[in-house]
Amino acid sequence: METMPKFPQCYKVNSKPHKFCPGCGHPIVLKMLGELIDEMGLAEKTVFLIDIGCSLLAWDYFDLPTTQTHHGRTVPTAVGLKIASPEKIVIAYMGDGGAYAIGLQHTLSACLRNNPITTIVVNNTLYGMTGGQLAPTTIDKEITTTTPGGKKGFTTIKGPELLKNIAQPEAYLARSSTDKPLVLKQYIKKALEAQINQHYAFLEVLSGCPTNWKTDAKESIQRVQELEKTFKLGEF
Amino acid sequence: MIKILIAGEGGQGVQTIAEILAKAAFLENKKALYIPNFGVEQRGGVSLAFVAIDDKEVVYPKFEKADILAILSERSRERVQNYLRDKTKLILGPAVTKKEVDLPNKAWNILVLGQINREGTIVDKQSLIKAMEERFASQFAKNPQLREIDIKALE
Amino acid sequence: MGNQILAQAAKDAGAKAMFGYPITPSTEILETWAKICLKDKSLSFLQTEDEMAAGFATIGACLTGIPAFTATAGPGNILMQDAFVMAEALRIPTVAMIMQRGGMSTSTVIYSQQEVRLTCFGGNSEGFRIVYSPSSLQELYDYTLKAFRVAWQYRWPTFILADGYQGKMKGEVKIAESKKLTIPNLKPILTKGVNLRNCYNMEEEVGEVIANYYSEYEKVRSEIEEFEEYKIKDAKIVLLAHGIVSGAAKLAVDKLREKGLLIGLFRPITLRPFPVKAALEALSGVEKVICFESALGQLAELFKKELYGLNIPLKEVNKPALGFTPEEIIRTINQIK
Repeated sequence: METMPKFPQCYKVNSKPHKFCPGCGHPIVLKMLGELIDEMGLAEKTVFLIDIGCSLLAWDYFDLPTTQTHHGRTVPTAVGLKIASPEKIVIAYMGDGGAYAIGLQHTLSACLRNNPITTIVVNNTLYGMTGGQLAPTTIDKEITTTTPGGKKGFTTIKGPELLKNIAQPEAYLARSSTDKPLVLKQYIKKALEAQINQHYAFLEVLSGCPTNWKTDAKESIQRVQELEKTFKLGEF
Repeated sequence: MIKILIAGEGGQGVQTIAEILAKAAFLENKKALYIPNFGVEQRGGVSLAFVAIDDKEVVYPKFEKADILAILSERSRERVQNYLRDKTKLILGPAVTKKEVDLPNKAWNILVLGQINREGTIVDKQSLIKAMEERFASQFAKNPQLREIDIKALE
Repeated sequence: MGNQILAQAAKDAGAKAMFGYPITPSTEILETWAKICLKDKSLSFLQTEDEMAAGFATIGACLTGIPAFTATAGPGNILMQDAFVMAEALRIPTVAMIMQRGGMSTSTVIYSQQEVRLTCFGGNSEGFRIVYSPSSLQELYDYTLKAFRVAWQYRWPTFILADGYQGKMKGEVKIAESKKLTIPNLKPILTKGVNLRNCYNMEEEVGEVIANYYSEYEKVRSEIEEFEEYKIKDAKIVLLAHGIVSGAAKLAVDKLREKGLLIGLFRPITLRPFPVKAALEALSGVEKVICFESALGQLAELFKKELYGLNIPLKEVNKPALGFTPEEIIRTINQIK
């Protein structure tokens, strides 16, 4: 009798168990993505690009052509790849640091140009892999290792809202949460379909980070739900 | 010089006990040099700690063969085989021996710390306790029971 | 921890501002400085959007006469070259701590000596920089104090080229008794009447600027060069090493001397300006030089460039991104000789 659901076909089985922390949001996002790649039959065409940060742990997650780039440079790599080989489905997968700090200019530029790539940003409101520093999405008063007195004085980046100002009308901009994986899956599907229809797609996903938030399971989920009050879920 | 290598998984508290040991050595006016060695994963992934304690200045943080090798997880054992020589004293943590221990698993690293210290007669137990109190000051303040558990673990 | 010591040293040296971006193994320098700022409101800290911004923000602060510094590693060092080269061109006394990690690309977050070339000559630089290579926790402290004084006195971008091992090592250091160290020549750079440019029109214009920089650099270099000789006097074989590798090399020299081998160590402490005269003196009469480094010949390359014409065989022992224990150095020498 089968007690465990099967891995998506496009998973690389021998790299499991994966290397993400217990309770991390990445495996949830990757699972939904994996299932969709199976369902939509995209495995042959998909190229998976990841940033430096916790996303880099997905380098051997899928049985898909995957490469790590340099920090913040996943988007321009995706842009170049898509221009050179437009038949590919290119996914640029990163965290909030790569998308909104060091890679902000690339995020904005790709959207501005309507490059038909799918950018997925897993947002845990801080820098995970380096141990919990300030990120552009860190919320007010949050204590991080580089804001030991609590962040103050400026607001957070709200990605999809920001991009709305410069995106083409047919671009897909959305925000979801690992707290609602089935809705997340629908949004990922639309983000992939947008690319198939030659439009830019951007999906931010709120995610838990129990290791750096220093929260237990219950607190982590609660905190993600708290974040949904600041970072509105939905399609923009 | 006594060379101690502690190996385990990220999250098991390998670095914590290395820090406490080095700190205890300082409290006794010994010289110590400690360096962590691990990859990018925040959890899981092998975590190593090199601690060298001597009466004179320690100049280089890593070494080839350990005098004491403490292993806290099966997965990390492979990584440190090269540091074993015939004289190395091997200590295996409860996660490896799977022996019953009357301690919450969060304190298993302290248990190993006590074993390391006894095996090498490195520092006075009081120094370890003092170093632990410094390291866990805020945790002990919030939860005084923790202090009792950790002192028990050192035995 | 080494990184904590670096931040504390910067404070003790008189630094007032720091800009940086998290990157292992330098991140604790930012975090420690951020904590120091909580207690001392006269100090500033900003985590910038990336390393390029950090480098340029550091320049910005220096322009107003505020001693400022930054810290980075690996790919961050690559990005900061953009700023460092401008600092060179405009004679801005930036101080930067480089905690070398594995090369090439992202590599490991742990250790290497593979940023020697980048830190000494990165970008489209001609090397008008001061680069210190410390080898212990105490030197991390002492040379940081020195770096600020030297940077402002001579007006070249100055670097503490350490590594991930030194950054993460924990041990004891003696900190300065006098916390009121003065930085010489400390005054605003961008003042009334000052118009700075790094863009030139004709070849001759920039040619002249570079020639002037070069002659000045050559004139003051003897005041800045530092080196260490260890058991050199009657040595027939001399080891060449810098940074933490030189620490292991010293232990190897001790052990080999016990066995009767006439061996010593020459350690450049400043990689820029390289202590050429001292090296020539130390190596006269020597039969062989063996260079140990955690890179593919970057120190050796520097040595060969600076001591071209020296007719002593050089053997390079390269372990890019890996360290050397004293035992390993001894074994290698025994195999070579």
